[in-house]
This record gives sequence, structure tokens and C-alpha cells, in this order.
Amino acid sequence: MIDHFLLKLRARDEIPPDEEEAIRAMFTEVIEVPADKTIVRAGKELDFSTLLLDGLLCRFKDLRDGSRQISELHVAGDFADLHSFSLKHLDHSVMALTRCRLAIAPHDRIQAVIRAHPHLGRMFWFMTNLDAAIHREWVLSLGRRSALGRTAHLFCELRLRLGLVGLADETGYKLNLTQIDLAECLGLTSVHVNRVLKELRERGLVEFRGGRVTIHDLPGLERAAEFDPAYLYLERRPR
Amino acid sequence: MTEALQLHLGAFARLTDDDRARLARIAARHVREIGPRRDLVREGEKPRAMILILDGWAATYKQLRDGRRQITSFLIPGDPGDANVFVLARLDHSIASITPVRYAELSQADFDALVVESPSIARALWGHELATASIHREWVLNVGQRTAFERIAHLVCELFWKLEAVGLTQGFRCDWPLTQADIAEATGLTSVHVNRTLQQMRREGLIEIAGRKLAILNLARLQCVASFNPDYLHLGGGAADLGSSSRQGQ
Repeated sequence: MIDHFLLKLRARDEIPPDEEEAIRAMFTEVIEVPADKTIVRAGKELDFSTLLLDGLLCRFKDLRDGSRQISELHVAGDFADLHSFSLKHLDHSVMALTRCRLAIAPHDRIQAVIRAHPHLGRMFWFMTNLDAAIHREWVLSLGRRSALGRTAHLFCELRLRLGLVGLADETGYKLNLTQIDLAECLGLTSVHVNRVLKELRERGLVEFRGGRVTIHDLPGLERAAEFDPAYLYLERRPR
Repeated sequence: MTEALQLHLGAFARLTDDDRARLARIAARHVREIGPRRDLVREGEKPRAMILILDGWAATYKQLRDGRRQITSFLIPGDPGDANVFVLARLDHSIASITPVRYAELSQADFDALVVESPSIARALWGHELATASIHREWVLNVGQRTAFERIAHLVCELFWKLEAVGLTQGFRCDWPLTQADIAEATGLTSVHVNRTLQQMRREGLIEIAGRKLAILNLARLQCVASFNPDYLHLGGGAADLGSSSRQGQ
């Protein structure tokens, strides 16, 4: 059930069996939510965190006029709001972009796990460091990359993050997003996204169609994106 | 010297007198000074030390190959660089001074001892990290959706509240060492566009910048045009008190 999460952790450090056991015991229930459901609302008091088992989630913020910015996409194996363990309420909302399966970890159980296994405490801290690193890369993308560059960059990022949990390979991956969802990630209009996708296709780099990203030229795509995966901290080492 | 640091971390966990003494001690161990516009740490380096800003302003930034630069956050007195930086093999961003900066360096051994000896400081540092991620999220919203005018107004509000939380404002005034190029790099705009927008803000009676000082002339209206809600700064105290905040120690 939490195998994707373990894959993600084990890509970064060794997780011995007793720690795996403790992680498994941290979750109390599994729920399913439909697409477009907001599962965490900004400002609401929280006493549990949510692990995504299947599907796609996003963190987002809205302006008063209704314009929406997605600040991170979450794939299977990601904690959507591990940071609520410490913050207790969030400054953003979390929404299901597709049908999702979620596992719930009450904060008192997370607390107990961290107390008994300080190494897992550090790993959870690391996971929240990683969110900050992804946010920084998105600020760079939206502030300085061209529309084409930032779209290509998002496809590269997702390929690696999904690949880590066995949901992508060199040729591509399933991605059940609309062009509006992409626009809200990229700070572009959906018309602009449509044009950029066409250009990426015509340049023979990547194709996004029918809920699937098909990569035709990975080195070319990474060049167009100026993609450097260092910010995803993929090394396996003691932490 | 470490008041700002204690005030900043105190927003995330209740610190005892022992904790405060510990912070003061550790921040005095390896103090360095660096002139303006210099790199403290560089992207791609192996982290040597955790940084605590004692005095002055700095920025974290990332750069594309052709030199286009994006500032991803500003650091003011009391701000740690990345806490727990040692879990990372290589840094994914650089830190550069804006003014002359005095800062403390903590070795991994210092850091490990600090978080083992004081669970409150550990919780405060993690809390700080999460607030940093929260500020990054707000910046994604800023560069993704806000207009130039709103972006700059938002940045001004953010820095004002951060400075206020560590006692570095005088009424509605504070230091403002940022150039128009810095603002441009933080907001994804050109310097020319920043210049035009700042003039417009002055004409509208919102802010005034002169001699490296900022005066906010109408904070309520500035926050309103920026859609600014200080909640995301997780300052814990008065600043975040706009209704939806209900921080609790745990």
C-alpha cells in the first residue's frame, strides 16, 4: 500500500525493516476521493497528514479574482501535507486532480514514530526540504524560463519523480491532466499552453495527448528545459 | 546580536532561557563577515555549514546558463540559511550578500548537538524550514499570477512584516537596501518595468523609497492591492492575526 512512499525514501537512504514496520503502522485508514475534490483547505486546523497512494494531487493558492496557481504537483508516494504536522494549518489548499487513493497518518502517530526512530524524523524533515527545493525551482521557472522552457521543465521533473516510483520510463508516462491544469502550474493561459505543446511536438521533443506524455527526444527536451535534476536530491546516502 | 534569531525561532517553538543561551553561544562560535554582493555559498557545492544571518541582508538565488538569475527568497537578520542543510549532498541554490553581512556558521557537529540537546530548537528550525517552503509557494503564486504592480506590492509587504517580526522596523519605515535590479530578479520582471511600477506606487501614495529606506504610506491599501495575507509567513504573533490563524505549540 505504501510501497511508492518506501521507493521514494529508499532512493535517498537505507530504510531498515524496523523503520519500514514503524512507517506502515503510522497509517490508520485509506480513503478514496473523486477528481476536483479539495482535500485540505487553507487555514483549517489539521491533526493528520495525507499520503498519496494513487492519482495526482496539487497544492494551490488562489487570488481574490479567482486566478489559481498550482505550486507543486504530487505523485504516488508523496506526502501532500507532511508539513501540517508542524504547521497545524496550511497556507495553501490541496486538491485531487484525478481520482485519488489516500492514506491517513494522525499527527500523534507521526510524533510517536519520530520519537522512536530519530532517523525517520530526519527523513521526514528531508522530504519537506525537498518540497522547498521544488518550489525554488518553480520560482526560477516562472520568473525566468520561457513558456516553452518551463513546460519542458515540468515534463522532465515529472518523468524523474514518477520514474522513481516506477510510474515512468524513458519513453514517457501517464499524466491525467488538462491543459488548464498545466496552465495553472505554468503561470500561462491555456491558449498559450496549447501553442507551446504544439511547438514541443513539432520540434520532435515531446507529445502530450490523451492523458499521456510521450517523450521522443529526452536529451533534446532536457536541453530545452535547462533541466538539472540536482534539486531533486536523488543520491542515496546516509541522512 | 542574536536577538533577531531568538525572536525568529521563538515564533515556531517556546524557547527556554537555556535554549536562548545555547543559541547565543553557538552563534558566537564561528562568526564571519563578508562585503556586499558576494556569494556566501554556491549552487552545486557540498554543504559545509549551516548559516545564520546575524546582520545585513542576503538573497538565495538560482541561475540559468545564460546568466538569467532568479532570486528565490531574501534573508534578513535572524534567518537561518537552510537548516538541516547536511541532509543534502549538494546545494540547489546559492546565497549572496546584498549589504555587508555578518553571519554565523554551524558545523554539522554543532547542528547535531543543538537539535539533540534541545528538542524545542529542533522543532523551531523545522518550523522555520516549513515557513520557508511556504514563502516559496507564495512566490510561485506571485510570479505565476500576480501583475507587476501586485508582485512588487506583495514583496514590499512580505519584507516589511518579516522585519517587523524581528524588531527591525521603525513605525512604517525600515531599511531598504534592494536595488531595482534585485527587485526585478525577485519578481521575474525587467529593471525598467520595476522602475516604472515603483514610480506608479509612489504617485498613488503607497510607498516611498529614498536613501536605502522604505516608508509605507498606506499599509492597508498596499496589502489590499497585493492580495496580501501574512498567514503564509507563519509568524505566529500579531502579524498573522487575520482570523484564519490558530497556531498552537505542540
